[in-house]
Amino acid sequence: MRTIFHLDLDAFFVSVERILDPSLRGKPVIVGGDPKFGRGVVAACSYEARAYGLHSAMPIRTAYRLCPHGIYIHGSHGEYSRFSRAVKNILLQYAPLVQQASIDEFYMDFTGCRNVYGSLFTFASYLQREIWKKLSLPCSIGIGSNKTIAKIGSDCLKPNGITYILPGMEKEFLAPMPVESIPGVGKVTLKDLHSKGIYKIGDIAELPQDYFAAAYGKYGIDLYRKACGKGGEYLTFIHEQKSISHERTFADVTSKKFLKEKLFKLTGKVCQELRDKNWFTSSVNIKLRYSDFKTLTRSRKIKPTDDDKIIFDAAWNMLMKACTRRVAVRLIGIGLSKFSKFSEQEELFEWEEIKRRKMLRAVTIIRDKYGYESVVFGTAETDKKLQIMVNPFRVNS
Amino acid sequence: MDFKVNSKILEKLLSRVIPAVPVRTPMPILENFLFELKDGQLNVCATDLEVSLRSSINVAASEDLSIVVPARLIYEVIRSLEDTQINFSFESNSKLKLTTDKGTYFISYSPSEDFPEIPSVSMTKEILINGKDMKKAIDQTSFAMSKEDMRPAMTGTLLEFTPDGLKFVTTDGHRLVRFINKNIKTGSEEHYIVPERAIAVLTKLLGETDVKIYLGKSNILFNIADIEFISRLIGEKYPAYNSVIPLENENLLKVNRAELISTIKRMMLFSSSGSKQVKFSISKDSLTVSSEDIDLGSSGVENLTCEYKGDSMDIGFNTQYVNDILTHLDDDEVMFKLHSPTKACIIEPEDVLEGEEIMLLLMPVRLNS
Repeated sequence: MRTIFHLDLDAFFVSVERILDPSLRGKPVIVGGDPKFGRGVVAACSYEARAYGLHSAMPIRTAYRLCPHGIYIHGSHGEYSRFSRAVKNILLQYAPLVQQASIDEFYMDFTGCRNVYGSLFTFASYLQREIWKKLSLPCSIGIGSNKTIAKIGSDCLKPNGITYILPGMEKEFLAPMPVESIPGVGKVTLKDLHSKGIYKIGDIAELPQDYFAAAYGKYGIDLYRKACGKGGEYLTFIHEQKSISHERTFADVTSKKFLKEKLFKLTGKVCQELRDKNWFTSSVNIKLRYSDFKTLTRSRKIKPTDDDKIIFDAAWNMLMKACTRRVAVRLIGIGLSKFSKFSEQEELFEWEEIKRRKMLRAVTIIRDKYGYESVVFGTAETDKKLQIMVNPFRVNS
Repeated sequence: MDFKVNSKILEKLLSRVIPAVPVRTPMPILENFLFELKDGQLNVCATDLEVSLRSSINVAASEDLSIVVPARLIYEVIRSLEDTQINFSFESNSKLKLTTDKGTYFISYSPSEDFPEIPSVSMTKEILINGKDMKKAIDQTSFAMSKEDMRPAMTGTLLEFTPDGLKFVTTDGHRLVRFINKNIKTGSEEHYIVPERAIAVLTKLLGETDVKIYLGKSNILFNIADIEFISRLIGEKYPAYNSVIPLENENLLKVNRAELISTIKRMMLFSSSGSKQVKFSISKDSLTVSSEDIDLGSSGVENLTCEYKGDSMDIGFNTQYVNDILTHLDDDEVMFKLHSPTKACIIEPEDVLEGEEIMLLLMPVRLNS
């Protein structure tokens, strides 16, 4: 039997913003862009804002309608990472094993630590106080015999809660909870489960596993296991990255030129990340969301490359083919997947593409040292801007 | 109309021509042999549009005829027969009737109009090469031809006729092999690129007999015994390989070839499947070969006796490439001529036969420091 802690930082982005600006305390704070300019979604909101029905991933415009007097902040992502690292450093002092699941979530394996720390419940509250004392960040902790139950536990008494699910009590603990408490159950699954008359986790556990296997396949078996209080018992550390992606939401756009410029910028970002990791990609995906939320994705196989130009051409081509409706565009995104390692094999001949590859590597190194903006690739648009910058006496007609 | 032929003689004829029959083709007509009866000769042709093979035997036929027959079917039938006499008779209903002492077989044939014309090469200029010499040159160079279609020129073998002799050059951009046969001199300077498919067929055909080569503008004809082998030439520019051959590689590493091969074979098991990298750590009279697979957490190191004069260095190579190169040499000792860890390395056998020269060039893999 293992002992897994799941620590979840409560309204993490908001908590950090409150540290940076204490005047935000006790007010409805929403991180994720200004509803007056452009668009976006709620990345995090304070518990005061949640009282108005706000939740994360909600379009910012909807949030604004529900809570017009809220304080909307763009967010300072560098600070979030800094605080997240600080939390991890504290946890590392106590936990033998720590797995960071996301910026504000950590799994810890405390199996066999009862002799060291005594009562796990008391120890959890000590840990909570420690993080509060050192960083002024609130958190909730779930303790269980596996990762799933610990996560559900940390979620059920927020904020500042501690939930200890005693080993063997998992099923009973879960039974009265609504099915959407299971991590991984989204809108679609929820609707489907409701249509089957399944509302509580206990309803799932009462049915035979085969029923879910038949209805949802492998996912169904997983769902059933989770409902019975089973889950992953071991922390995972080697996290193989499967894709790199960036997307951008903006005020409804119809201009192709604007989309092209945005896609060019997004491509630049993902390609830089790709080259930083010394990878080649052989699959380019795009995402397109219209203002009516209809969303399309397209994907194309390409020859392994890390070249902005090739990737951009493929992505733009796909986007233009996919973007057929006469509806404004709300979001575009680009993703790369199917990675292979960059070949360090030296070449005999100085072909054009070899020269380009060397140039791109040089660009990557310069950007790593002096920042992403230190080198930009030219398009017709940047050319114009640069000309103006280079020649301030030029009369702009 | 009919004629008689011995099954073993015909099998030999068909087996020479069948390499040109494509295995998969969008043009079904190419899956046939062209049978031409003319002046008491049976001519059999096959082509895949890139390479064509033709050979003939004498038969006692009274009329001239030109038809196509399914290549694999007739070849398998003839091959399965014991040494016997076959009677060919061409029926009017497009059926070829084969009669042996065992029984009768019918194979449908079609008119030959749709069969593509075999390109002709002018026979004015003839180059004579010993078959064994040619085979050796091909065997030692063909492995380095590029398999990528991006640069068609590099998918073939360069035949370069120079005052120094005939050069065979292959490269895939990471390694390069140049074999020179100094005895073949034509007096003219010209070069041709023979496609990979033709090289593959040639290795099957080459033997003791001399090869007569005729060169046309876009085709090359090899006459080996009574086989005519015609191949398309690649009409692209071959990369300027002479300019990448380094001249100042002064660090010389001499090592036993068989020993190094056996080491490399073991290192291939340890090098990661992605980079296939092997590290040579070289210092005075000492060579350490090592590789590791970070993903699997396995690694291997071996020390080899060697002779080395020059600066100490760590240089990385692709194990597959090193293995290819070493296994295609036949001398006991090999010489690595090095310059620096990022520059081309020359590999040469210590001794070569009189009138021959072989040089292999290998680009290193950049070591992640």
